[in-house]
Amino acid sequence: MIIKGRVWKFGDDIDTDQIYPGKYLPLTDKQEMARHAMEGTNRGDEFISSVKNGDIIVAGSNFGCGSSREHAPVAIKGIGVSVVIAESFARIFHRNCVNTGLPILVLPETERVRDGDIIEVDVVKGTIKNETTTEELQAVTLSKLELQIMRAGGLLAYLKSAH
Amino acid sequence: MTPMTIIEKIFTRASHMDVKPGDYIWADLSLVAMRDFGGPNVIQEYESNLGAASVFDRRRVAITFDLHVPARSEKVAVNQKMLRDFANRQGVMLFDVNTGVGQHILLENGMVRPWDIIVGTDSHMNLLGAVGAAGFGMGTTDIAGAMFKGKLWFRVPETIKVTVSGNFKTHVGAKDLILHILKDLTTSGALNRAIEFTGQTIRAMDLAERITLCSMVTEMSGDVGFVVPDQHIIDFIKSRTDGPVEPVYPDKNVVYASNHEYTVDDLTPQIACPHSPDNVKEVAAVAGTKVDQVFIGSCTNGRYEDLEVVARFLKGKRIKAGVRLIIVPATMEVAKAAVESGLHELFLASGAVVTNPGCALCTTGHPGILAPGEVMLSTSNRNFVGKLGKGAEVYLASPITAAATALTGEITDPRSI
Repeated sequence: MIIKGRVWKFGDDIDTDQIYPGKYLPLTDKQEMARHAMEGTNRGDEFISSVKNGDIIVAGSNFGCGSSREHAPVAIKGIGVSVVIAESFARIFHRNCVNTGLPILVLPETERVRDGDIIEVDVVKGTIKNETTTEELQAVTLSKLELQIMRAGGLLAYLKSAH
Repeated sequence: MTPMTIIEKIFTRASHMDVKPGDYIWADLSLVAMRDFGGPNVIQEYESNLGAASVFDRRRVAITFDLHVPARSEKVAVNQKMLRDFANRQGVMLFDVNTGVGQHILLENGMVRPWDIIVGTDSHMNLLGAVGAAGFGMGTTDIAGAMFKGKLWFRVPETIKVTVSGNFKTHVGAKDLILHILKDLTTSGALNRAIEFTGQTIRAMDLAERITLCSMVTEMSGDVGFVVPDQHIIDFIKSRTDGPVEPVYPDKNVVYASNHEYTVDDLTPQIACPHSPDNVKEVAAVAGTKVDQVFIGSCTNGRYEDLEVVARFLKGKRIKAGVRLIIVPATMEVAKAAVESGLHELFLASGAVVTNPGCALCTTGHPGILAPGEVMLSTSNRNFVGKLGKGAEVYLASPITAAATALTGEITDPRSI
């Protein structure tokens, strides 16, 4: 699974209220939810108006901390983001990404990737080619088990097909 | 065999394979719980994907009502009805608005034993580690999947060992200790880790104190926290259940991810200041700060033992005029005991409001939230911005510091009264 896209940089401790503000929790339509992805961050308006299908979020540590709302990964995926790369992820957010089919990768040195860079990511191997700087980086990949769930289309699809 | 920590042993048994930290496994679940908050989303997710499929075992799925009880709005009433209807259709267990905080209800009803893996929609499920069970708070899809198959995937966490020695001074206890540890380890200090609490001080702790400790592992981003069950904990579980109770111990010579040692001989009353649970200071350092409201309760400090300490402090006294004191027992069992022993009457005489059991003032969903600019001292576990009202400030401390503060109307070191 190889993805190429423009990088949107975010900082440390981006919590689920920044990713998906609590006031939109009553929404159930996934397309409507997608319109509010990252809205609570300091560059929410810019992100929502300019993000393109396949773009990539690169953030600092503890991405997705806070509440257990699944709206957060669903909105990020819905707005077209292809993969989220961060120095670390909060536990429940990490699980929610796998269970709802949003690819994520852990990269200790996210400072090697700048806002606006074009990068090519192999989600399975964890290799990242920065086309802008020509640098190659190695991320920590998801486990085999997590990739199986993701390939099945999420946890419930996986459990339905598993015996 | 490689020596194992508690969580490694539990996952080894539940996955039917030898595990080590970092492994990804499928583990059998003992119990799946959901509550009036989060539960309705689970049911929608479950039924939209799986239709009328039966749950994996209706005797091992529990619905608890503890957050917005009784229903505080029409929306909540609709959600709660959805849960009752689902419980009727599927025949799963339901604990309605007259019961209390979910995890405590499971404990009191003998549904939690050492070795159990229990998942739920409450982020403080890990307080079940107080009896040696592995509790995990999870999202909607996880709980829907868990309810369907009775198993879930896990990453086996590394374990941090926290050893505590010494004797608490008067008016200092488990809450002060865990706040002190939080300050040291910080809100991200246990990310992807389990914690084992051990040592002389911990062994002497009763169930309520162990719950206080384990519940706040969530605030350190930990997966789960354990106290090795001592005889009085085993006796408690045995008194509630017919089945066998087998304690789980870590092996000797286990290599932990890190070791942390604390002594409590000189520990003073601690307090987490706005707006983070690890922004911890000595109570004395912020003494004199005016408060508008004091809340005593929550999954962290709502047991009978907590209320008893408060009652001893409030006996024969009135709270400061202009301060609201709200006391909420964790469960109906605790509430009844408080009525029978006279604590309830004592609280009313002191000027407190005592409400029905539940989570109460942990989020804005409950009566008693704050106006902008108001200050509350709470015995709960979180003080994030806006969690109890926009523009309000929340301090976290022990029940006894809360009682002292209610008497004076300002943050007060209980040792000064």
